[in-house]
Amino acid sequence: MAERPEDLNLPNAVITRIIKEALPDGVNISKEARSAISRAASVFVLYATSCANNFAMKGKRKTLNATDVLSAMEEMEFQRFVTPLKEALEAYRREQKGKKEASEQKKKDKDKKTDSEEQDKSRDEDNDEDEERLEEEEQNEEEEVDN
Amino acid sequence: MAAAAASGSGTPREEDGPAGEAVASQPPAPTTAPGARLSRLPLARVKALVKADPDVTLAGQEAIFILARAAELFVETIAKDAYCCAQQGKRKTLQRRDLDNAIEAVDEFAFLEDWALTLPSLLH
Repeated sequence: MAERPEDLNLPNAVITRIIKEALPDGVNISKEARSAISRAASVFVLYATSCANNFAMKGKRKTLNATDVLSAMEEMEFQRFVTPLKEALEAYRREQKGKKEASEQKKKDKDKKTDSEEQDKSRDEDNDEDEERLEEEEQNEEEEVDN
Repeated sequence: MAAAAASGSGTPREEDGPAGEAVASQPPAPTTAPGARLSRLPLARVKALVKADPDVTLAGQEAIFILARAAELFVETIAKDAYCCAQQGKRKTLQRRDLDNAIEAVDEFAFLEDWALTLPSLLH
């Protein structure tokens, strides 16, 4: 499979934005430096993946999980990343849970709708009886007012 | 009536009303809660990098997400370290050499020297 090198690079615009936000205002970055950072980031991901994969294989798993990546960070001497990554992971899990619940809720509402349509039919019959009663009461009131 | 006629021969004035909104050419912002920037790097690209490793079979979504976030932290870190070098030279523009200096100076970045050599096809 021929994969172009560009496809394995991260988008320049995003890299530039991250760099600019990390640095004080007024600081610029040359094109070569930015491109070098972008490639370094790609290498970082590849290296981290390889480390994480070692942990997965140790655990006899075929799927890389979040813990493997966190262990890789420590292995690579990027312990300072571990805490912010754990926080980010929790926020991500909450968001995923929220999305899942939202879609489940939608499904429940959809089911409820089909159920309630059947219920409404019987409810309408009850309402008709109530309306008749109300009309009688109104007639009575009118009689009283006339008097 | 005269005022209406004076305002123009019926052509709508777009500057005034809300109809004159500029069409945003930027991609839509991710729908994350304010203050909680989960990830700016596209997960699809990160996933492509992970898959490039022949030893990797599968990677969970959480793993991809953490890798993306870690890459962002890495970019911030290396940019700041490189900036320290530029500051010493009293420059306001980060140059390639600042980056090279940072990589040499910081132990954690040593892997960049090794890997850049072993994967030339990916990073030319």
